[in-house]
Amino acid sequence: MAQQPLIDRTFLEKLERLALHWQKSFPGLVGGHNVSRFSGPGLEFLDHRRFHAGDDLRAVNWQAYLRFEKLFLKMFRVEPHTPIRLLIDTSESMSTGAIPKFDYARRIAAALAYVGLVRLDTIVMHGFSGVLAEQFRCGGGRHHFSPAVSYLERLSRGGRTDFLRVVRQFISSYSQRGLLVVVSDFLDDQNCEKALELLADYGHELMLVHVWAEEDRVPPWEGELELSDAETGAHLKLEFDTDARGKYTAAFDAYARALRRIALRNDGRYTGLSTSMPVEDAVFGPLAGMGAVA
Amino acid sequence: MFLLNLSWLQLAALFGGISVGVVALYLWDRTRRRLIVPTLRFWVASEQPAQVRRRRRIRQPLSLLLQLASIALLLLAMAQLRIGSPEQASRDHVLLLDTSAWMSSRSGDATLMELAQAAARAYVRSLPAGNRAMLVRADALATPVTAFESNRRALETAIDNSRPGSTALNLGQALEFAQQAQRLQTGRPGEIVYVGPGRITDNPEDLARRSVPNLRVLNIPDHVENCGLEKIGIERGASDPETWHILVGVHNYGARPRTIALSLAFEGRSIGSQQLTVAAGASQNANFELRTRAGGHLEAQVTPAGDFDGNARASIDLPVERPLRVLVYSDRPETLKPALAASSAVEPVFQRPYEYSPGARADIVIFDRFAPASPPEADTVWIEPPRGDSPVPVRETATDATLSRWRTDNPLAAGLRAQDVRLDSTEVFYADPDDTVVAEIDSGPVILARSEPHKLVVLGFNPVAGSLRYALTTPLLFANILRWMSPGIFHRWELNAGCVGTVTVELGRDADPGGVRVVSERGRPLPYSVEEHSLRFFTAEPGTVRVVAGDREIVYSLSLPQVAEARWKAPETARHGIPRLAAITADYSELWPWLALLGAAGLLSEWLLFGRAYAPAAAGARSAR
Repeated sequence: MAQQPLIDRTFLEKLERLALHWQKSFPGLVGGHNVSRFSGPGLEFLDHRRFHAGDDLRAVNWQAYLRFEKLFLKMFRVEPHTPIRLLIDTSESMSTGAIPKFDYARRIAAALAYVGLVRLDTIVMHGFSGVLAEQFRCGGGRHHFSPAVSYLERLSRGGRTDFLRVVRQFISSYSQRGLLVVVSDFLDDQNCEKALELLADYGHELMLVHVWAEEDRVPPWEGELELSDAETGAHLKLEFDTDARGKYTAAFDAYARALRRIALRNDGRYTGLSTSMPVEDAVFGPLAGMGAVA
Repeated sequence: MFLLNLSWLQLAALFGGISVGVVALYLWDRTRRRLIVPTLRFWVASEQPAQVRRRRRIRQPLSLLLQLASIALLLLAMAQLRIGSPEQASRDHVLLLDTSAWMSSRSGDATLMELAQAAARAYVRSLPAGNRAMLVRADALATPVTAFESNRRALETAIDNSRPGSTALNLGQALEFAQQAQRLQTGRPGEIVYVGPGRITDNPEDLARRSVPNLRVLNIPDHVENCGLEKIGIERGASDPETWHILVGVHNYGARPRTIALSLAFEGRSIGSQQLTVAAGASQNANFELRTRAGGHLEAQVTPAGDFDGNARASIDLPVERPLRVLVYSDRPETLKPALAASSAVEPVFQRPYEYSPGARADIVIFDRFAPASPPEADTVWIEPPRGDSPVPVRETATDATLSRWRTDNPLAAGLRAQDVRLDSTEVFYADPDDTVVAEIDSGPVILARSEPHKLVVLGFNPVAGSLRYALTTPLLFANILRWMSPGIFHRWELNAGCVGTVTVELGRDADPGGVRVVSERGRPLPYSVEEHSLRFFTAEPGTVRVVAGDREIVYSLSLPQVAEARWKAPETARHGIPRLAAITADYSELWPWLALLGAAGLLSEWLLFGRAYAPAAAGARSAR
């Protein structure tokens, strides 16, 4: 049976009018549709200033010198690209759910990547579980979307989540700050809050896309249950009923709130997506609502 | 209780079986589920009083009880549980609809049959919904038309399609059939309902002794006045074969004396008429005489017909009296004439041998001391054939011989017992294995018979000469030969016109029951019984039946309908009239609809209270039991 494409053409056409937005200003970096407030090398003229020793002679406005006999330097709008990095959770916990969270996360990532590429942003994608997986990088242009999709389709799920290790690896790999989109269920027994804080401390703008299956939040089962952790293999036997379900959901919601708090506290953004919600609705609903795309 | 005819025990076993299944499913449904979840952190937060210690204890016992109770209620609903007397529960009734010939009588503007059909329909409509009924058309035979049927439309259609037959009602047989049907085919016998006027062929006293406690009678008033034909008997005159003596019997089936005109016609020509006054319930005979050699259609008619016209007219076909034509080629005809002219059924024609023609019309040809060059295509008798031309080789000519033996075991020598007959001269024949030896002397057979290709008898001597001339043996021998060659020639004919149904024939003491044949007009044998020289057969359809017993042939033209005269008085224990629906339904209450509702409500409640609405979706969550 032919594999279903991650995103169909109709949806892509709808994504054409969107752009990725970030809130932070990264020193010396702009990109895509974000106009730079800094001068530097570029093509678009910004202003003139007096020539100082050491300036690049190639930027001297010789015509102004002939007229005023003074050296003026032409300044141009700098055009460095703000890196947009997507981390996609490929751990074993993403494989649970009636609609696997892993597939859902890949579709979300593909949609965001397409939006970025259309607006000429530079996109970097990484799968991760215990460590960062192979990097995928591409410059702007929708013609780069096909390799991006191929990369996402090549991602394989498995492994145990270790957010702290992944973050350290990420920080060491990317000193340049930028927008960091994390698409994950954020289920890490070693607490991912600390890792996320660390990312924010390093100046990255966090956009947390929390993906969960409906039964991850409201388990439908009742009675005697014998549970196995998809990542650790740990077992737990318990009796589950309506009261327990309420407690479970409350704990889940509390965790989601904690993630949200971390994001907002660090000038980042957070959205929670149930896999029962179509990806298109998610992009034009919660993601657009939090200002990630507009 | 119905439930596919299950008993209480079987019902309990069924419930037990289903309950075991439900409990097993219940336990299976509530066994520990093994699930793979993305994390345990939230489960730990929700953990209830720790681990489960017993795996298969009953949890949610109310759910199980509710399920079992609902199933029990549904089973009882299927069993059609009722409150009230079981005697009044849904029953199987037998409807005996009188379809005897008398039902075609008119009573006012309608026939008795139409009145009976209306009453039968009314009874069927009065039956409670769960009851079934079997329609049986009752005349001389009890013929079931439907099985036990709860479809009212089918029953009414069967009632409407019923027509009067030709026979009278044998109510005893019909009641016995109805009781047997209820006994064998149903465990819930209801009523046996007789619909009709009650004219029966049974003995009313015998019928009164029969116990039918569940009998209901829908009486059809019978005020029919009728005087009609009862029988016609025709016999050929003993002295004059052209004369037929005709006896016509009429019977008054009404309650008042009637004067009727009885007329007789042969081939459309009136041959006599008589006016008769017949008392109520009495019979009267009228004699007529008809002279004819020709066959034809004889019809008797009674006018006025009265309310029942089925017996106002009867007909019978007189057979053609055709004598047996015997052609004799002889130079001494005067010697043979006495032997052949003794019976009016034989027409002998004597010719000289030189007048012989192979194509001459004859049933039997006798050659006396003459052998033609080409034998005729007919049965032949050869008397002293010339030695060289004899159809049977002649071994020798014996003189002064003694006829030592008659083979009385074959019909040609039947009754011939003459001993020590002296023959002046006789030819002795060679007998083939297939030949029948009739008489022989010490040196060989002198009378032989052959059956193929035409019947042939050859006599080595002249029986009308010599010492045999004055013996009884000679005419008997000729009679045997003629009867063997043409068996019907000496039959005694009797013609009767009568009623269809059971016919009894007195055979006489000398009749051989083994030689009796009873055949319909299409030549099909009819079943019959012989008891103390009386033969009895039955036919339900009008037609002609021939009874052949020895040399006697009796033809029954059964064109008259069978009418019973006895009137049946229903026993006092019998119920009468159409039952009121309320009287039947008030004695019990149907519980099954309520039981079914309760059972369904129980299952719905169980599902709402204990069912897991998310169960199907959960199945996709990589859960494994």
